[in-house]
Amino acid sequence: MSYLLLTLLLLPLVGSAVVFAWKNPASKFLALGFAFAQMFLSFYMLANFDHTVTVDGVLQYEINYPWSQFIKSNLHFGIDGMSMLLLLLTNILTPIIILSSFNEKPGYRNTFYGLILLMQFGLIGVFTSLDGLLFYIFWEVTLIPIWLIAGIWGQENKKIAFTTKFFVYTFVGSLFMLIGLIYVYTHSASFALTDLYNANLNASEQTVIFWFIFFAFAVKLPIFPFHSWQPDTYTYSPTQGSMLLSGIMLKMAVYGLLRYLLPITPDPILGISGQIVLVLAIIGIVHGALIAIIQNDSKRLIAYSSLSHVGLMVAGIMASAILTVNGTLMIEGGEGALVQAFAHGINVVGLFYCADILYKRFKTRDIRQMGGLAKAAPKFAVLFIIIILGSVGLPLTNGFIGEFILIKSIFDYSKLAAIFAGLTLIFSAVYLLRFYGKAMFGEGDDRVLASAEDLSGVEFSVLTSLAVFVIVLGVFPQPIIEMVNSSLKFIFSSMMN
Amino acid sequence: MSVLIIIFLTAIAALFAGVFEKGKFSRYISIIGLLVAFYVSFLPEAEFFNQYKHMFEYTVNAALFTKIAIVITILLFFLGGFSFSNHRSHQSELYALMLFSLCGGVVLFGFQNLVTLFLGVEILSIPLYVLAGSNKTDLRSNEASIKYFLMGAFATGFLLFGIALVYGSAGTFDLYKIHEFSMENSKDFMFAAGAVLMLVALAFKVSMAPFHMWSPDVYQGSPSLITAFMMSVVKISAFFAFFKVMTIGFQGITGEWINILGVLIIITLFLANVMGLAQSNAKRMLAYSSVSHVGYLALIFFGLNNLSAYNLAFYLFAYSLATVGVMMCLIWVEKLKRETSYNAFKGLAQSEPIIAVAAAVGMLSMAGIPLTAGFMGKFSIFAQAIETTPFLVLVAVLGSAISIAYYLRLIMVMFFPKESSFNTSERVPLTYNIVAVFIIIALLALGIFPDLFARQFGL
Repeated sequence: MSYLLLTLLLLPLVGSAVVFAWKNPASKFLALGFAFAQMFLSFYMLANFDHTVTVDGVLQYEINYPWSQFIKSNLHFGIDGMSMLLLLLTNILTPIIILSSFNEKPGYRNTFYGLILLMQFGLIGVFTSLDGLLFYIFWEVTLIPIWLIAGIWGQENKKIAFTTKFFVYTFVGSLFMLIGLIYVYTHSASFALTDLYNANLNASEQTVIFWFIFFAFAVKLPIFPFHSWQPDTYTYSPTQGSMLLSGIMLKMAVYGLLRYLLPITPDPILGISGQIVLVLAIIGIVHGALIAIIQNDSKRLIAYSSLSHVGLMVAGIMASAILTVNGTLMIEGGEGALVQAFAHGINVVGLFYCADILYKRFKTRDIRQMGGLAKAAPKFAVLFIIIILGSVGLPLTNGFIGEFILIKSIFDYSKLAAIFAGLTLIFSAVYLLRFYGKAMFGEGDDRVLASAEDLSGVEFSVLTSLAVFVIVLGVFPQPIIEMVNSSLKFIFSSMMN
Repeated sequence: MSVLIIIFLTAIAALFAGVFEKGKFSRYISIIGLLVAFYVSFLPEAEFFNQYKHMFEYTVNAALFTKIAIVITILLFFLGGFSFSNHRSHQSELYALMLFSLCGGVVLFGFQNLVTLFLGVEILSIPLYVLAGSNKTDLRSNEASIKYFLMGAFATGFLLFGIALVYGSAGTFDLYKIHEFSMENSKDFMFAAGAVLMLVALAFKVSMAPFHMWSPDVYQGSPSLITAFMMSVVKISAFFAFFKVMTIGFQGITGEWINILGVLIIITLFLANVMGLAQSNAKRMLAYSSVSHVGYLALIFFGLNNLSAYNLAFYLFAYSLATVGVMMCLIWVEKLKRETSYNAFKGLAQSEPIIAVAAAVGMLSMAGIPLTAGFMGKFSIFAQAIETTPFLVLVAVLGSAISIAYYLRLIMVMFFPKESSFNTSERVPLTYNIVAVFIIIALLALGIFPDLFARQFGL
């Protein structure tokens, strides 16, 4: 069965090579074809995936080859529930993201699609590798394509500044993670995940490693004081770049927190480090939401809302982790974070796409200059509100269940923390509904509104497919929760001893 | 030894070929001679050449480094032909001088005696003093030559004085006898002083801060192909000699010099990377980057194990390949634009995608981005040193974090503008594209399958 995973891993790489080589406007259809093939392959794997196994047998579709005789590292890939969920997210969003760019002007487009597929290759590598060095390598592989996408197609006058900032920030973060992993490796038998879990590190070593590894994830997410690259990059990247970054790439860090940070260094969580992270995350929630409220630039608003939502995921994970190391096994935080990661991926891609549609109609990102589009574009108004409500976390949309579990898990740890974390629900309603209200209702520029068209075919199909996910997962979230259950039990119970 | 003789004869042949033809001919002779030498370096050493027992030894490591140096030199000769010097009529002498310098390198790979070490250093350096000034009408090139010569003479002085002190206390020039002496007499002051002086001299040669002051000027002033040669082949040779002297000869008194080296590493990493960030000229930036790589390399002295020499070879090979990749691009830009500021590279990827990609992969490799050989090189050196000196590794990591910014700048200038600023119809010659493809494949292959290198070189 492992050939399935190998195909899943290599298909985007082959696809990107083919698309790179084929300099033709039609290469976009080829890229879409590869992305769809990839999506169906992952559905097929999901259908054959066994959710009911116990903690010991969580890994499926394993591939394991020796890699280097000098570095004790193997080409080891495999999927458990957590990987499966994020693989699905990647492979569902990639075709949608590719499709969403079909109306853009051509201009080296085959390079653009080649880079998206290359990015997909890196992401799948991150979510399936079971070896520390491999994880780091794929983690960096994702960086180059997104940097090139942001740099080549980003906003002309700003791109040197923001792409440098973005690249340097994330690269520095990952270097610290590398050092942390190497240090653990020198104390364990190999880079294999289980060996890293069982490395004998004393408490003070673990504390240093914790912060080194956490730094990489904190930058990528981003957590409060490390977020200054994020608004610029999300704003000035091309829409597809922002979608890739916020929709999929930041989930790498959520995944990394659960898969690497918590099990390798459980000791510092028992001390004060875990609480510091929790506090930083909650500051991020409130800080991001407050700035989003006063924001007039639509993409910047989404960027800060993303900061706020991510903070909630980290706070939930840390709350459960702290409780677990103190002796009560709690996996709810992890569950909530993963469900929310999936939902946030769908919603934020939708939000960025809506912002892009608004930009095309109004020729501005300033939401004060928008207005009244609901009359001219009723189909858009309906689909836009579904996406908005999903992000706000209205019950029966996909955003609700994750936020609910997360706030409950924070509540279990501390009621005060839950009160602050819960502010995200109120604030997100404030800024997102303000955004929607300004853009869709009220007085608008008559000339713009007279010529404004409703959704084109491409736009309609992208938004509809996202909206379907928003509602279906909102009504029926149970499969996702079951999918990640056993792998989270394994991770959290390994922290206890 | 037979490799050395073949390279030497090739150099003579290349020199005399210049009598009949202007350069092209001697370039072919040089490449063919080097290919023969490369083939011979895989064969076991013949009995006849093995009689210089206590002067020269052809060990596994020597063979490994010889192969690397020959491969890099061949690649550089493929690039040769223009921008070499503005004196087109004296091309064959330049090829011959590069080959003589390579001879010095091979002597350094196999020295077993401090006299051979000294000979090797001089044979390596003296042709370079001439080569640096081979652009006779260019003031900068003349300055480079003089500066390099004066600084080289200083370093020679230090080296000789160090050797004299070592000889004075140990009573021998033989590296292995010095090793035994150092193991037994770890408190001998004169011996330790000799070791430190030799350390300083070799730090001059590999351009380690604060003894690097000559190198940015020399690297910038020399013709670009010569600069590439200095950054790659010369660095490989000098660093391996450095490594061999310190780890074999002075192993017993490691405590006396290792801390000095640690301080030098910190200064190098900090100074070179910060200065690299401040440059506006690509060639000068690469010069500082070259200095900074000595800082990462010198971490090899910490936490030594039996794979250290192999890791050193891997890093040097990866770095040299990357250097050839970037310098190739620079040579082409310099030919068309007559300058090497960052702006000169604007939009290169649009007109010459293959060499631009080679340069980009080279710089990503220098920065240590995964899937390139540079990452594997840095990784193995860091993993080796982290056990004994985590602090130095942290400094090195911060250094490479700074370095990424200046590499990115050049890549961005090449790739991000949508229009090319290269309006001429002139295209790069085929040999450049061949070398570029070779470098891209080699850097990625070594990054993805790090064991490939070991198998190729008989480990």
